[in-house]
Amino acid sequence: MMARVWDRLARLGQGWGGLGLWWLLLAVLALYPYIGVTHLTLFLGSQVFVLVILASNWNLIGGMTGYVDFGHAVFFGIGAYVMGILVTKSPLLISPEWGFLQALPVSGAAAAVFALLIGLPTLRLKGPYFSIAMLGTFVAMREIVRVLRPLTGGGVGLNLPPVLNRLGDYYLMLVLMGLVVSVMWWIRRSEFGQSLIAIREDEIGAEMRGINTTLHKILAFMIAAFFTGVVGGFWAWQNTFIDPDVVFIETRTVEMVMMSMLGGLGTVWGPPLGAVVIYVLQTVVWGRLFGIHLLALGILMVLLVLFLPEGILGMSGRGGSTSLGRLLGRIRKRAEP
Amino acid sequence: MKTKINELATLPNRLGILNMTRLRMLVLGLVVLAALAGCARLPTPEVREDVSSATSTEDGAAANVIRIGAAVSETGKYSREGRDTRQGYGTWLEWVNNEYGGIDVAGKRYQVELVMYDDEGDPDTVARLVEHLISEDRVDFLLGPYSSSLTQSASAISEKYDKIMVEGNGASESLFERGFRNLFAVLTPAGNYTQSALKMLAEQGAKSVAIAYEDTAFPTSVAEGAQRWAETYGLEVLGVETYPRDVADVSGIMAKFKEAEPDVFVGGGHFNDAILFIRSAKELDFNPKAMVITVGPSNPKLVQEVGADAEYVIGPTQWEASMGYADEHFGTAAEYAARYEARWGEPPTYQAAESTATALALHLAIEAAGALDTDSVRTALLDMDIVTFYGPINFDDTGKNASKPMGAIQVQDGEILVVAPGHAAVSELRYPAPAWKDR
Repeated sequence: MMARVWDRLARLGQGWGGLGLWWLLLAVLALYPYIGVTHLTLFLGSQVFVLVILASNWNLIGGMTGYVDFGHAVFFGIGAYVMGILVTKSPLLISPEWGFLQALPVSGAAAAVFALLIGLPTLRLKGPYFSIAMLGTFVAMREIVRVLRPLTGGGVGLNLPPVLNRLGDYYLMLVLMGLVVSVMWWIRRSEFGQSLIAIREDEIGAEMRGINTTLHKILAFMIAAFFTGVVGGFWAWQNTFIDPDVVFIETRTVEMVMMSMLGGLGTVWGPPLGAVVIYVLQTVVWGRLFGIHLLALGILMVLLVLFLPEGILGMSGRGGSTSLGRLLGRIRKRAEP
Repeated sequence: MKTKINELATLPNRLGILNMTRLRMLVLGLVVLAALAGCARLPTPEVREDVSSATSTEDGAAANVIRIGAAVSETGKYSREGRDTRQGYGTWLEWVNNEYGGIDVAGKRYQVELVMYDDEGDPDTVARLVEHLISEDRVDFLLGPYSSSLTQSASAISEKYDKIMVEGNGASESLFERGFRNLFAVLTPAGNYTQSALKMLAEQGAKSVAIAYEDTAFPTSVAEGAQRWAETYGLEVLGVETYPRDVADVSGIMAKFKEAEPDVFVGGGHFNDAILFIRSAKELDFNPKAMVITVGPSNPKLVQEVGADAEYVIGPTQWEASMGYADEHFGTAAEYAARYEARWGEPPTYQAAESTATALALHLAIEAAGALDTDSVRTALLDMDIVTFYGPINFDDTGKNASKPMGAIQVQDGEILVVAPGHAAVSELRYPAPAWKDR
């Protein structure tokens, strides 16, 4: 019974119904500020949207393609620095307020170009070698930014104009999140997405069947890098200050991995769900367990990964590969005579 | 190559663009258009702009409470300094509510409620918490977090909502180059860190200086200031070198400086860098007549780590309990230190003292203004010219406390003794330091 409901939901999620429900949710979120909100709510909203975007993009390369990227935050950093450099140094921008929107796609494009350059060598590596190469890229980029002092401000960092607009940020990130998740939904259904999954399951087999694996991997990597770069640019603008140590934080990648894993690797709706759950946990736990909250959150994460390695959406009917899934399966069998 | 071009040509097809039925495309397009048209007609939503403080609302006024907020690290990379900051704020809070009898605003006494959260040393969290403090907790004023980079994030938000933020733990000069009207700092800005020491050394006959510093915000400000002050006091700058954060070896820099033979060596960085500088100077037999190292010498742990080699090392200090400053509230610096130790069971670091002074400056500005609105208190802060147990406080137009001279200590016979500025000194400077082989 449960399994059938779950299967139906899964089919709905992949079908047009899933996209419809997603757009309905977006519409509700778009109207939400009209019922009277505070700047804090808008800010929290935009932070959640950012996490959803990051998790979804990480999932594209880490979940769907199966290339576990431990340095994905490098694209976030590149986006942030392109934004920082453009708004503080470029004479091409029309004004601080609108120049931000001009610089935003450039942040993404720079990250995508970097993904192309770094992906060509690293995506040839398999399994943990790719993960480690990306981690190395991430750390190297932090040092490069530190050294390129005339451009990046070195360890001193860059001050961006403090033009904060929480309402604008909310809508900007809402639109970007809507777009990103819709793109993921479409990729998952498309032949492109099926090819990515084929690469994840058996790369040599996929190549034998005529899939140009290099092209597919690079494209997925560039798409994931583009949106991550855009979000990085946005973050730099919103935080009004960047230096190598606040931009290139390892935990940002860890968060992306955690959110994707919690929600369900390789699924469309898992990473957004995981992002929301983790954000709520972080803020709620933060409020209740002042002082030991990081410990509590850490233990929770370990438990989730131990018992739910396929994530919340991986709990579906046949999820016999996880201990919790097996447990649930046994309970279900007993309930259905 | 040819197959690749073929692949590209068929890509749209395989991506599924052409597989989608025309009808669905049409419906999709119409829905998007309708949504866009709908959006264009909607007015901009109204955000509750009301960030006025709880005090100005009726129940707040009845309770006579001033609410002050701060996001300070309790966990994360600044947990140690964050605790000093919290205890510094706490020392003031308990004193103002229990002993002083509340802040006197135009004849009316207000108790203080201090709302503190843990920012985990994370810029996103600090932004969220400051936003929370302003729009949910409705605080009247803000105190700063620990570290320059978190203060960068936090002060942009307080500036947006036109809330006063007084801070004592962000010394980077770039904080005060953003034109903020509501940010004030009681500590001596990083650029002036080496002023007292270099002045004193120039008076003792030093002629030249070499500077090495870590390439991060705070040491960079220190080193730029050192070059400026060296010029002012007629010291020739023989070399300037930078090194990356978490450096493991500085012998390359020290070897270079050994060739240049400066009278004074200035090193800027963190605690471990101080140990590296001293050890590698000894190893390479680099003998400047004085070593000025920013962070480290004022910490008793340095003497424990390097022993007798720490002798003669000079360090700038924001504050020491032995300094001769006093005010009518906390008494002398030594009395403040005794009060702090009685309450928290450990002697105050300068981070703790400057945090107490931060809160005290805000308190005195509110009393001088006789009002709780941002404009009056800002004016009172700009007009402020007082001496506290922590030193003089007189903010310039950018919000820096430009009037407070930096102290300097020297390690003498294993003890950390203040040698500058003159009126705070408890011991004479020992200069020049003997060569390593003569010790």
